[in-house]
Amino acid sequence: MAITYTIDGVTVTAEPADTILTSATRAGVKIPTLCFDKRTAIYGACGVCLVEVEGVPKLLRACSAKPQEGYVVHTDTERVDRARRTALELLLSDHTGDCRGPCKLNCPAMTDCQKYVNEIREGKYKDAVSTIYEAFPFPASIGRVCPHPCEDACRRQMVEEPISIAFLKAFAADKVEADGDPYVVQCEPNTGKHVAIVGGGPAGLTAAYFLRRYGHAVTIYDKQPKMGGMLRYGIPEYRLPKAVLDREIAIIANAGVELVNDVQLGRDIDFEDLRKRHDAVLLALGAWKSYNMRVPGEDLEGVIGGIEFLEHLGHGERPTLGEKVAVCGGGNTAMDCCRTAVRLGAKEVYVVYRRTRAEMPASDVEIEEAIEEGVTFKFLTNPIEFYGKDGRLEGMKLQIMELGEPDASGRRRPVPVEGATENIAIDNVLMAIGQGANCEGVAEELLTQRGTIACDELTFRTSMDDVFAAGDVTNRGAGIAIQAIAEAQKAALCINNYLEGDEVRAKIPYFVKQEKTPEDFEDEPKQNREKMPGLTPEERRNNFEPIYFGFTEEQALREASRCLECGCHDYFDCRLIKFANAFDVDPERFAGFMHKREDVPVASEVIVHDPDKCVLCGLCYRMCDQVAGKTYLGLYNRGFSTVVNPMVPEEARTFCASCLKCVEACPTGAMKSVPAVERKTCIV
Amino acid sequence: MRVVIGEGSCGIAAGAGGVHAKLEELFAQSNPTDAELGITGCNGMCFLEPIVDVYDNKGELHRLVKVQEKDAQAIYDAVVANDLSLVDTLAITAEDEAFLNKQTRVALRDCGVIDPESIDDYLAHEGYAAITKILTTGMSQEDVIQQIDIAGLRGRGGAGFSTAFKWRAARDSKGDQKYLICNADEGDPGAFMDRAVIEGDPHSLIEGMLIGAYSIGASEGIVYVRAEYPLAIVRLTKAIEDATERGYLGNNICGSDFSFTLRIKAGAGAFVCGEETALIESLEGKRGMPRLKPPFPAQAGYWLKPSNINNVETYANVAWIINNGGEAFAAMGTKDSKGTKVFALSGKIARGGLVEVPMGTTLREVIYGIGGGIRDNKEFKAVQLGGPSGGCVPASKLDTVIDYNELAATGAIMGSGGMVVMDESTCMASMARFFLDFTAKESCGKCVHCRMGTKRMLEILDRIVAGEGQEGDVEKLEDLCYAIKDGALCGLGQTAPNPVLTTIRYFRDELEAHIAEHRCPAGECQALISYSINKDVCVGCTACARQCPVHAISGSPKQPHEIDQTICIKCGNCKTACRFGAVVVA
Repeated sequence: MAITYTIDGVTVTAEPADTILTSATRAGVKIPTLCFDKRTAIYGACGVCLVEVEGVPKLLRACSAKPQEGYVVHTDTERVDRARRTALELLLSDHTGDCRGPCKLNCPAMTDCQKYVNEIREGKYKDAVSTIYEAFPFPASIGRVCPHPCEDACRRQMVEEPISIAFLKAFAADKVEADGDPYVVQCEPNTGKHVAIVGGGPAGLTAAYFLRRYGHAVTIYDKQPKMGGMLRYGIPEYRLPKAVLDREIAIIANAGVELVNDVQLGRDIDFEDLRKRHDAVLLALGAWKSYNMRVPGEDLEGVIGGIEFLEHLGHGERPTLGEKVAVCGGGNTAMDCCRTAVRLGAKEVYVVYRRTRAEMPASDVEIEEAIEEGVTFKFLTNPIEFYGKDGRLEGMKLQIMELGEPDASGRRRPVPVEGATENIAIDNVLMAIGQGANCEGVAEELLTQRGTIACDELTFRTSMDDVFAAGDVTNRGAGIAIQAIAEAQKAALCINNYLEGDEVRAKIPYFVKQEKTPEDFEDEPKQNREKMPGLTPEERRNNFEPIYFGFTEEQALREASRCLECGCHDYFDCRLIKFANAFDVDPERFAGFMHKREDVPVASEVIVHDPDKCVLCGLCYRMCDQVAGKTYLGLYNRGFSTVVNPMVPEEARTFCASCLKCVEACPTGAMKSVPAVERKTCIV
Repeated sequence: MRVVIGEGSCGIAAGAGGVHAKLEELFAQSNPTDAELGITGCNGMCFLEPIVDVYDNKGELHRLVKVQEKDAQAIYDAVVANDLSLVDTLAITAEDEAFLNKQTRVALRDCGVIDPESIDDYLAHEGYAAITKILTTGMSQEDVIQQIDIAGLRGRGGAGFSTAFKWRAARDSKGDQKYLICNADEGDPGAFMDRAVIEGDPHSLIEGMLIGAYSIGASEGIVYVRAEYPLAIVRLTKAIEDATERGYLGNNICGSDFSFTLRIKAGAGAFVCGEETALIESLEGKRGMPRLKPPFPAQAGYWLKPSNINNVETYANVAWIINNGGEAFAAMGTKDSKGTKVFALSGKIARGGLVEVPMGTTLREVIYGIGGGIRDNKEFKAVQLGGPSGGCVPASKLDTVIDYNELAATGAIMGSGGMVVMDESTCMASMARFFLDFTAKESCGKCVHCRMGTKRMLEILDRIVAGEGQEGDVEKLEDLCYAIKDGALCGLGQTAPNPVLTTIRYFRDELEAHIAEHRCPAGECQALISYSINKDVCVGCTACARQCPVHAISGSPKQPHEIDQTICIKCGNCKTACRFGAVVVA
């Protein structure tokens, strides 16, 4: 006879055969479980399905407890939450693996590099581009210019060299463009909300793209004649051809983003008026002002800000430089400046940097290429005076430096060598030691002392509820494009949450991570990274032609095949990580000994078991026994050392018919098969 | 005259076998007085083993204790001379006799009295009278259960569940086949009363099971005995054979319709198999892992048939209750806990062994009145009740009476009756670690809370006793304790935190001293102590230096010695060796 009870206020009807889990699931109340599957007998191992019943002193396992007439069941009490979270934290305290690859985790925008690299490997270029668009809308542009933190983290370098992730990204985007099948943004139905974005650089455009996808109307206001911000006006043509950028901006524009150029905040549009006319405002103004060196002689003619110099170039101007040019600074802007100076015809180009090459923030490849193009690096020197005649720069005095104790950033601090100076004759100085924001027109109350916009790190909200900020203009200061993009991606989510009336904060997901060493890859066959074809130094030094040709398809396929696929194959189906995030786990609480065991071949070549990912839910061996009718798998050892293993010696393993039921039911990535099978959980 | 040698496992371990062989040899050569030589089980006075009981021609008992092989001749001579005063030096002291006299024996009524290998001896002591009465006077199943209900008998294995309730549930459960199972997997370190019953009075178990089987309608019974009890298995096997031969087991017992067969299953030594559902899994040939309850064994037990499980001591009470009536049993004890309970007294106690007392007796009476207090005149610190599932009870709670609820209120449990006594030199952190190490190793690995939780707790306790505890560790332990109690699947996991929780409750200061001051107040944790020699006391006898395994002690004879701390491994041999108390622990 059926009975009725309530769970979280929902009235549920249960048949005699029902448990709380089955009847609640049918009624739409979700109860998490790792070890239940109706194809097997009730087991009760995981403790994740615990529920509280009024009047029952103990917590009950929903998978086994029979509901009784009039039961008042709760799944959302603090006690239930704590018990479930503890179970998950205990499991995770001995769960070793990489939910996601280091490439993805090290990308500020969390681009799923492993996924698109493998889509490229399979020739699914359009899928690869779609994967990138889940993170940001500039695969071709960012693929060309990104200093690629993903590659810094790539474990392939423990074999020989990292995967060429960035260039593969550009390849995929160029390929779909060449095939005439570019990405089209899919937008949610219009919400009727309108967001104003000030600044059309990587941050502003990315935010616009995501906000359109959420269904909001978006207008970008930008002071420059064209959109693109620093991607257009800060990065020279030879690195990022404007046509590539135009093409990607067009995709965003085609999604219905309104682009308004040549308007400056405070001059052409009023901040308060903007707020009035829109439901939310995002300030993504960027950082367009080169820092001064604060040395005497900065006002001499011939001393130019690096960013301003590049901006002129971006406008199509060809600034005149003297024969001897010195660039001060060690970042990527300094590299863009010195290499542009070479291309503009300067005979002698110096980079003056107060530390050594090891401390330079610029990418290695940029430094290499600058050297190839004839740039002279003067390390451990610091300008202390610009001098000249009649207001015109003639040279600079350099203080010789040496490295002292490490500073707060961990880099060794440069200290002057007393009395050691050097004078060099120069015609121009390009100052590229950093850049700051220019927030004219923004309400004073939103600014920091440094003139940037103050906003929260997780909500991107300023002190005004409807005003958000992202990118170089914020209190976190100027960084690389992908950082600004990453902020914009999260800010767009927060703005969407705000417009939908949800909690604004962007949640930082939990991932299981592990450390690997080169010893772990000793058996991996070596296959070097593909060389990017391009212009020789001689061919490129006197023009602004793009220096790279891009990978050929053969190269791209070869390169993509090098991926070690560090991230777990089961991430999207894994119930453990899903629940871990749903319950805000902190497994560090129970940090202790972690197993490190070899993978177990279950059925040769077809099924492999990773005991370090196993949660001992028992589903694999129970499916084998109760569904497949074999008793091929079983538990060995006791307590903390318990492990799933084939019950027969290796030579007898033909007993397994590879029906894959064990893989199908595994709630984590512990059971892996080739080819993969669809994971399935049957609750009702 | 009858010469009876105590040959339980404890007696045998103490050398009873040699005494027996020697006596046998002597009597075989010449037995002018026709003296009989026999054996009996453990009478509970393990601290006096080997024990030889001589019944003189008047039937009077002369108990000789700590008998060695070399004493056999004297005993022989005394028996032959019919003058037991000749072996007065071996006679038990009046003080030690009090150990037994202060007890009330129901479950252990014939242990150490009868010959466990003789069914006739059992029959001579009211043996099989209860089952005969039931089957020949037409007592119904309910009549029997009624007596057990009146007696208020509760499970003696640990949880203390009402026996009558379980029997009724199993009886009322529908099934073509029902089973009656005896849990003799006695796994608590420090508990050995079940072994004593099987080794000393196996027929009382069989009779208790017969009555249970009759009450629920079971026709098949299994005794799950741990393989570490080989003697128990031998004696029970013989008892089953003898009982079958005499018609107490088999078909149409006592001419009635009631049939019951009994067999033994030897367990492989997993603690968790003492948990009833894990025991059933093991009986079915599977890995010993608990099942979820419900369904309870009474509904779906062995092979999913209605089954009843009780432990040895519970069954051992049953025939007595039928013979003497439920009221007689219920007359002993407290409101909620009736009858008697057997405790295995061990640790730093003066007289260790098996003690059976009426419920309601205070812990103080058991430990001081019967057990003789702490050995070597040291201070009582705590007593661990219920083994690894129980908890420690401090000196301030010594007047707690033995009662399921009263003991539970202290944070400990009645459990199966393990009583490990600790003195001032026992470190409570180390003790909690010991029990947790046991449960972590014995966890079957099935449920997360027990498998992972006990491991993480053990790691925390490991670092505390190693002097590497961190601030907040005690709170972290508490968190884990409550989480495991709430989340673990079976009794093993749910009770595993008890020793730690009671240690935190009563000895928090001691834990904190390890963490905050890197100090072991009891002077037991090796990582936190150092040994040194008090120069003013040392006489230079060199005893310590000779016992030091790493030659860390130097000094000339008759001159004060010194311990080199860089070599010392803190084994404590020196302290044991020193007869002058010159070795000090700090």
